[in-house]
Amino acid sequence: MVTNIQTQLLGRDISFPVEESRFAYWLVVMRLIVGWWFLHAGLDKFLAWPFDAGWFVGGAAAQTSLGPVVTLFADGILLSFTNIMVPLGQTLIGLGLIVGALTRLAAFFGAFLMTFFYFINGETGGWAHGVITGDLLGLLIFAMIATLGAGRVLGVDAYLAKTAFVRDHPRLRYFIG
Amino acid sequence: MSELTTMERVGLYGGAVFLLLGTVGMGLLEMALGAPHPVSGEGQIVHETLFSLSIRSYTILLGLILLAAYGVSNLATKPPQDPSI
Repeated sequence: MVTNIQTQLLGRDISFPVEESRFAYWLVVMRLIVGWWFLHAGLDKFLAWPFDAGWFVGGAAAQTSLGPVVTLFADGILLSFTNIMVPLGQTLIGLGLIVGALTRLAAFFGAFLMTFFYFINGETGGWAHGVITGDLLGLLIFAMIATLGAGRVLGVDAYLAKTAFVRDHPRLRYFIG
Repeated sequence: MSELTTMERVGLYGGAVFLLLGTVGMGLLEMALGAPHPVSGEGQIVHETLFSLSIRSYTILLGLILLAAYGVSNLATKPPQDPSI
């Protein structure tokens, strides 16, 4: 089955056909792979607990563009907060993507985390082969998952979207896939 | 996409322009006239570049911030036009 995507870009008609089954297939594959990427990263930190992000937010980040903001989290209670929120966030983002629950919210926070990884890893050596790195591609895939609402394909969000609560609160559509 | 407000155009188009400028645009110019890599493999900042590392970073960051602002403002200002997506 083919659907015609009817849209405009920069004032021009750019309508184009899309093969629906392949589109759905890629949404699920992308969601599962990126979900496992983050779930693994989060669980890995919990399994090797305690996790200390001090070397990243205090050391590596200090001389980068995001340094003025990130180094605020380099000690005290804000470092403790970071040490918990990074693995917890990664785990929840990964879980959300794998089961397709609150997919857009999970993808937004995935892109948010990747922004820090992209600039700090990049400016401390990751950009030695150019500024397009795996971190940036990960960030863009999160943005794509959020844009396309990938949780609706074989995901919990397909069920959530049909609930009366979501129908009564349409803005929740921005959080689910 | 045809019903974008001015602010939405700034977020979407502006975000894409800065993102592409910092990656593709500056990358092409660096390759032709400057240094292809902004940092060395040891994490040292390369100083023979046309655009300093911070200018390039902030250009890309501005693009990402504009795109994020578009998404957040959409959430804050209006419900989805079609509740089925």
